[in-house]
Amino acid sequence: MSAFKREKKEEEDGGGNPFQNIEKTSVLQEARIFNETSVNPRKCTPILTKLLYMLNQGEQLSAKEATDVFFAMTKLFQSKDVILRRLVYLGIKELSSIADDVIIVTSSLTKDMTGKEDMYRAAAIRALCSITDATMLQAIERYMKQAIVDRNPAVSSAALVSSLHMTKFAPEVVKRWVNEAQEAVNSDNIMVQYHALGLLYHIRKTDRLAVTKLVSRLTRMSLKSPYAVCMLIRISAKLIEEEGSDSNSPYFEYIESCFRHKSEMVVYEAAHAIVNLDRTSSRELAQAISVLQLFCGAPKPTLRFAAVRTLNQVAISHPTAVTACNIDLENLITDSNRSIATLAITTLLKTGAESSVDRLMKQIASFVSEISDEFKVVVVQAIQALALKFPRKHSVLMNFLSAMLRDEGGLEYKASIADTIITIIEDNPEAKETGLAHLCEFIEDCEHISLAVRILNLLGKEGPKTKQPSRYIRFIYNRVILECPSIRAAAVSAMAQFGASCPNLLENIQVLLARCQMDSDDEVRDRATYYSSILNRNDKSLYNNYVLDTLQVSIPALERSLKEYSQSNTDQPFDIKAVPVAAVTKPDEHEVKQKSEGMLISNGPARAPPASREENFAERLSALPDVNLLGSLFKSSEVVELTESETEYVVRCVKHSYARHIVLQFDCLNTLDDQLLENVRVQLDPSEGYEIIKEIPCPKLPYNETGTVYIILKFPEDDLQNSIGTFGAVLKFLVKDCDPATGIPDIDAGYDDEYMLEDLEVTLGDQIQKVSKANWGAAWEEAEASSYEMEDTYALSSMNSLEEAVGNIIKFLGLQPAERSDKVPKDKTTHTLLLAGIFRGGIDILVRAKLALADGVTMQLTVRSQDEGVSDLITSVVG
Amino acid sequence: MGLFQKLVNFLGVRRREVNVLVVGLNNSGKTTVVNSFKSEDDKVSDIVPTVGFSVERFQNQNLAFTAFDMSGHGRYRDLWEHYYKDCHGIIFVIDSSDRLRLVVVKEELDLLLQHPDVCQKKIPILFFANKMDFKESLSSVKIAAALGLDKIMDKPWHIAASNALTGEGLQEGVEWLTQQIREILSVKG
Repeated sequence: MSAFKREKKEEEDGGGNPFQNIEKTSVLQEARIFNETSVNPRKCTPILTKLLYMLNQGEQLSAKEATDVFFAMTKLFQSKDVILRRLVYLGIKELSSIADDVIIVTSSLTKDMTGKEDMYRAAAIRALCSITDATMLQAIERYMKQAIVDRNPAVSSAALVSSLHMTKFAPEVVKRWVNEAQEAVNSDNIMVQYHALGLLYHIRKTDRLAVTKLVSRLTRMSLKSPYAVCMLIRISAKLIEEEGSDSNSPYFEYIESCFRHKSEMVVYEAAHAIVNLDRTSSRELAQAISVLQLFCGAPKPTLRFAAVRTLNQVAISHPTAVTACNIDLENLITDSNRSIATLAITTLLKTGAESSVDRLMKQIASFVSEISDEFKVVVVQAIQALALKFPRKHSVLMNFLSAMLRDEGGLEYKASIADTIITIIEDNPEAKETGLAHLCEFIEDCEHISLAVRILNLLGKEGPKTKQPSRYIRFIYNRVILECPSIRAAAVSAMAQFGASCPNLLENIQVLLARCQMDSDDEVRDRATYYSSILNRNDKSLYNNYVLDTLQVSIPALERSLKEYSQSNTDQPFDIKAVPVAAVTKPDEHEVKQKSEGMLISNGPARAPPASREENFAERLSALPDVNLLGSLFKSSEVVELTESETEYVVRCVKHSYARHIVLQFDCLNTLDDQLLENVRVQLDPSEGYEIIKEIPCPKLPYNETGTVYIILKFPEDDLQNSIGTFGAVLKFLVKDCDPATGIPDIDAGYDDEYMLEDLEVTLGDQIQKVSKANWGAAWEEAEASSYEMEDTYALSSMNSLEEAVGNIIKFLGLQPAERSDKVPKDKTTHTLLLAGIFRGGIDILVRAKLALADGVTMQLTVRSQDEGVSDLITSVVG
Repeated sequence: MGLFQKLVNFLGVRRREVNVLVVGLNNSGKTTVVNSFKSEDDKVSDIVPTVGFSVERFQNQNLAFTAFDMSGHGRYRDLWEHYYKDCHGIIFVIDSSDRLRLVVVKEELDLLLQHPDVCQKKIPILFFANKMDFKESLSSVKIAAALGLDKIMDKPWHIAASNALTGEGLQEGVEWLTQQIREILSVKG
């Protein structure tokens, strides 16, 4: 009785989660009750619910635990309790990926999915698909086909969606169900029709012709389901994008006709599709925008939200069209739904004039504390766009941002603010001092370690270049006193940068570093000792190499080399030059683009960041017998197409440079299904000075497979001028005719054949790795004494603007622009481009290109490198 | 157990529920055997190879049977053991026309008998020498000898020749099984 009372009291207090304190072991223990001879649904149901709850909270079961509980669960099939049975289906789905031998329930599930009890059927299909693999699918194919065309809409939908999931592991089998899916498209049920269309499209999406047929057939018959219509609009939009067709195409007409559909969802989808098309003429755009404008005044908040969100997204690409809605957007600023209001304001900020900025900022400030982080990020992004558009407004915006920084907020929100401030600082030199001051203030009270470390790093880089570097020292040193080890370490590094760049502060910095040497953390002490001993030397070149510039080697490669070194047991000192230099990575624009596009099928969980390209290649190449003797891989070029993309044989080449050798990797694809190629090799006609060391042919190349041929060449010795050349290439192979279906050759004997490839060029860029120099100026001065300088002047008559010239020079030389000199300020006629890189063999190169715009572009190119030949090569090649 | 339930059990009014396991090689007729026990409305007309297992119910003399009809396919035979623990009886179906695989049957039977969940307990085992209508079929006596059933000392067993398609011999076998389980339950209860 007392226990009951207590329970009751707890219920009153918490009123919360009855599953709050469940433990894995006790639940698994309780699950043994499933094994009892007569199943008691009243007892089993809550236990199974607990188990499901636990799994959904992220509790991990070992394979054995999962298998045990899975088999216990299979015994519940003897119960006739509907609720319990449906929980069992859920349990099967949860455990199907962890437990072994889940296949055991196949017959039980097929029995349920074909049985009389409708409550079981759909759920059984879903569970069945989760336990089936490609080999078992044959056995249940008949049942799936029947289920797809079942009269019960829930069953049919479940079968269709499950089939869609199964295309992942058995696309060939699911393809055979296309007739059933076709039939289901004609269903009267809106969900079945939608799911059937989804499956049909997924099966055919690789076949353009089939998709066009599907779309043109379905656009003619009027689909009942608004969801299916939305899907059809998306498919049509995709077809328009892919075919590049204009507004006269039937797809476009179809989308336009959807403006008159009776469902709001469809109308919105059509407007959304048209607005997001690349090639929309102003007439269609106006129509779509007017639909969205109408929705802005709709009574349903969802419609208003959808409309304003779409307008917000296209405000950048079609600002003039969106301005038409300004009045409606103004009305939405005071919307009671804060999300709508936020989007309305940010849209106005994007399209509005400079004069309205102050007013709108005030509006936002009035409710910024009430909206969620996600929308705050939207506001911040709008501010960033605004700051770039109206540089003169930076003080207003900066103040607003700093106020936002001081508010409560999650890491993502704070990081986006810091990013915005950093972008503004980089873009607008006037804003630099205030921006840095705001950031300094922010790190005084910052709970996000990663953000604090980033800001300290920025202060170390930008601080010394300001008028009064000393004022930042206090902020940085405060961190050393107050924060956790990783921030302290970052602060020490930042201080060292000040010491290296500002001679008048050096003495003070040394005192502070000496204090840091008594820190309790190893990393902090190490850094302090390291920097203070370098700063003691008073040597400019040491500063440049070890304080101001960061390590340029690729970190994973360094880790691997160090591991090998520590295991090798040699007396030789470790040579860091042998470690490959990291390629400068560009932010992945592609990924961002995909995000906004991903709509037909949701993305999976985020993947782990892929290893660098060089790393992947290095691994593959080092598996080859002769390549691993060449040293470490220096650079891999972009892929070069040596054939047209739709020919009989497709050949692509990647050039891998080593210190004295080059390895050419030819990836060949055989697109003829009635031919088997054997002994595939590339006959190369190298230019003067090159020497072919070895060829590694590809023994066999069946239809639709990619095989690789390697050729190892030696660069011309002591003759850099000749290292740039053009090679003729011919693909040679033995053809055997074969049966397209089986791929087995008809006869044993084949005949020799060859195929001309386009010429292959080895360029300067192939031999140079990009390196980013944080402090280019210092490195340039230092190089003056120690290296060979070459200078020449060129007239680049084909270039019409400085931007174009800068882009071409960077691409041609394969060097990395430093100090953001690749961005040309507007309305200037002169520009200086600063470049840095490493030539194969570890020779540093620095290039300064002074550009002037007159008729065409005139360039004065100055090259400094440690090797006369390299400097000479670069100046001679440019001409 | 409450007093009332004890009384009910004593009087045998309430039907007792028991689990039996149906095992045997593939294509020996397990599903067909179980199918013919079921009541007329529940019967299935076409029988396909079982994948994994399926649960079926039938009654005999006041005992409610839940039969776990296991798949006999080589791939799934390892999974039988998951269901040994809580069963009250085992029905072992043998294709008596398949002389070649009789050694496989013996091997599987020995594995079953040696399993810790089975060898400790006194579980009745009913053998059906199925497909007795085939001309080349072995008699039940010969099969018992071939499988060495006489060596099973600690468990009651019984072998019955049967034809699952017509139902011949099945009733006799299952009546024996019912009797055995009843005895064991009454000793326990």
